[in-house]
Amino acid sequence: MFSTIEIAKGVSLHIRQSTQFKTVNFSIKWRKPLTVKDAAERSVLSNVMQHSNGKFKKSAEFRSYLDDLYGTVMYFDASKRANDHTVVLNVETVNDQYLADNKVLDDVIDLIQTAIFNPNFENDQFVSSIVEREKEMVIQRIQSIFDDKTRYAHQRLTQIIRPNHPASISANGSIDEVKNITPESLTKAYHSMINEDKIDIYVLGDVDEKAIQEKLVNALTFKDREPIPYPDYPESKAEKEYTNEKQDMNQGKLHMGYSTPVKFGDDDYPKMQIFNGVFGGYAHSKIFMNVRERESLAYYASSSYSSHYGLVYVVSGIEPANEKKAIDVIEEQLDAMKNGEISDLEMNQTKAMLGNQLKEALDSARGQIDIFDQYKDLGEEFSIDTWKERWKNVTKEDLQEMASQLKLEAVYFLSGKESGQDANN
Amino acid sequence: MQTIEFKQLDETLYYEKLSNGLSVYILPKKGFSKTYVTFTTKYGSVDRTFKPIDGNEMITVPDGIAHFLEHKMFEKEHGDVFQQFSEYGASANAFTTFARTAYLFSSTDNVLKNTETLLNFVQEPYFTEKTVNKEKGIIGQEIQMYNDQPDYRVYFGTIENMFHNHPVKIDIAGTEESIDKITAEHLYTCYNTFYHPSNMVLFVVGAVNPDEMIGFIKDNQSKKEFKEAPEIERHLEDEPKEVAHKTREMKMDVQKPKVYVGLKAKESNLSGDEMLKHELSVQIGLECLFGRASDFYTNVYESGLIDESYAYDFSLEQGFGFALIGTDSADPDKFAELVLEQVNKVEKEDVFKAEAIERIKRKKIGFFLRALNSIEFIANQFTRYKFNDMNLFDAVPVIEKLTVDDIKEAFGTILGESQQTVFKVMPMNERK
Repeated sequence: MFSTIEIAKGVSLHIRQSTQFKTVNFSIKWRKPLTVKDAAERSVLSNVMQHSNGKFKKSAEFRSYLDDLYGTVMYFDASKRANDHTVVLNVETVNDQYLADNKVLDDVIDLIQTAIFNPNFENDQFVSSIVEREKEMVIQRIQSIFDDKTRYAHQRLTQIIRPNHPASISANGSIDEVKNITPESLTKAYHSMINEDKIDIYVLGDVDEKAIQEKLVNALTFKDREPIPYPDYPESKAEKEYTNEKQDMNQGKLHMGYSTPVKFGDDDYPKMQIFNGVFGGYAHSKIFMNVRERESLAYYASSSYSSHYGLVYVVSGIEPANEKKAIDVIEEQLDAMKNGEISDLEMNQTKAMLGNQLKEALDSARGQIDIFDQYKDLGEEFSIDTWKERWKNVTKEDLQEMASQLKLEAVYFLSGKESGQDANN
Repeated sequence: MQTIEFKQLDETLYYEKLSNGLSVYILPKKGFSKTYVTFTTKYGSVDRTFKPIDGNEMITVPDGIAHFLEHKMFEKEHGDVFQQFSEYGASANAFTTFARTAYLFSSTDNVLKNTETLLNFVQEPYFTEKTVNKEKGIIGQEIQMYNDQPDYRVYFGTIENMFHNHPVKIDIAGTEESIDKITAEHLYTCYNTFYHPSNMVLFVVGAVNPDEMIGFIKDNQSKKEFKEAPEIERHLEDEPKEVAHKTREMKMDVQKPKVYVGLKAKESNLSGDEMLKHELSVQIGLECLFGRASDFYTNVYESGLIDESYAYDFSLEQGFGFALIGTDSADPDKFAELVLEQVNKVEKEDVFKAEAIERIKRKKIGFFLRALNSIEFIANQFTRYKFNDMNLFDAVPVIEKLTVDDIKEAFGTILGESQQTVFKVMPMNERK
């Protein structure tokens, strides 16, 4: 897929020439061990770098210039994966060859260089007014989760099941840590990110590999760096088995958290992928077929495997009065799997869906970059056939074993203040 | 089979209208491993009063029925259609909008088999009182889910503010009360009226061999019989041009107010090239006034009136159209006041400057070129364009030709105080 070279110690450049897309895609990822403080700083930092830079000091100027480059999309974003915090700069620009104007790609590379190495500084620091405004934006982003009841319930469950742990640390940090940021501390975080983070640079599109490599090596002059050690994350376990919280709302949001010893990259990882597919990952799964189709309890009911943290989440939106029944039906599905009640059809459907999903993801540029980026950590050449072979070898007994290892650690239920009563309005 | 070439975009589209009236479009995309197939009927939530295929009198069916029907198509006498798609590795889905209902799948293998499943399940209705009643609990929860989403409530509240009679103001899923009235007989009536092949489009895009695919589709369709279908007669009550309510609000358990300004379109009786040009012109005008490079944006951003939820959009279908500009804001009234001030400038000042318009045209062209990487975008948008007699692949050449005068003229159709409305979702007074 991608060919990789190290352009400085700890800085890798991955390029893939492909005629599949009508655009050229860049993705630059800065990684650092995840802590609340760093997450807060880097989240605000990505907003501030998105706002303006040394060449385009006003946001509107920066946006106008991107529009002129045929609506080139360029944004910084903060996210997390496993124990890493990631700041990413994603850029997508139209391929010159579809335009009369063929200088766009060079202009875009210049702009990437500017956005990274030429920040909007006054007296060697970020501009205070911009920092304050973007701190407010991030605080509002964190607060807005409250208004989306499904996201809020999920956040509450992760806080309960894994307190003070990467599984529950937000990629935006916390409101308190965002408030503590000053132009000085943010400038320090910027230098640390540019000079100390582990960096991966991706390029994908119909490009001349040699030429683009040379341009990027010249434009992105990152220095050598050493790996940053991870902090000792304390052992974290669920602080409460059952939590019911109330808000003014109609539907009940049922969120259940299970743990599994199996994580991404373990030998049993493919077994857990199949397990989750049969349990609640798809429309043919046991949870969907029983909670929704058999019992008509919900519109949505599914499970997801958070493989980096060894957690399986089950979520469903139900009539509050049906809480116990829904939990019972979900637990019955797990019991059925422990007892080996798994059909050939369920196995085959899940294997077909997993294979299809992976192949489909490769049809988007972002999908190719993200899959390569994630699987490269396993230290093997990524191939769909390898994964299909691993899934093929998974048996019902394997799923029985996976089901037996699953442990329900926490149930979180968010519901209306007059639970169980008619709350129409 | 006809071919239509789009040279600048390096795309070739294959088209055939089958003898039963079904329009089939096939767009092969090099380098993709998946194929995406949509099967869409020109039937949505607004089609509530019509003459049924076997009747002479107009009837009005319960609200939410198009969406209910979409749900019920997946259940057959011998089980759930998702099961069949999963077996052949296809992700299937469906959605109902104001104006259409689409069934779709994507898969990287067994594409013909999955196409057969799609064609057959949509063309073989199976409704009983028992299965219909069972679905009421599921859709009831879907309605509750949306009722709890403030972003949805502020969006829909604004639409309700704008329209007096037009059924666009009715929730696509209906209400728990309205769906309770739905019977299997209703579903058959709607199905027979609106799911005739002549009212539908099949669109195939991705890793597909056009000759093999069209042969397969024709073979499948030739085995089925369909009655001659008369032209569908729909009834719509007259809709006044101006908005129904100037300002309304509701309270929800939210941490911050949400506000939308709605601008109701005076002109929505358009189709074809005229509609394409009009729609693109209004969108470019909106971007010019409210985009991230605008003075308006800089002002509301710097004064802290908006956050990352800020958005603006223009929607147009046959019979209704509106622009929306909204955000979460600590001061929703101030935000709405500034939006309307900005809109009203169009009538007094020369706000659409040639330089800005050219820049936004380039941005918009870039958007379409990027979007053509996404076969989901192509499939979903192509059909919407088609039902309005527009062609998705004409968008780029049409944008290239737009002038400042075109934008002024089109934008004029959403101007005027009588077209303006504001809807707010406010936090509850007592907070825990």
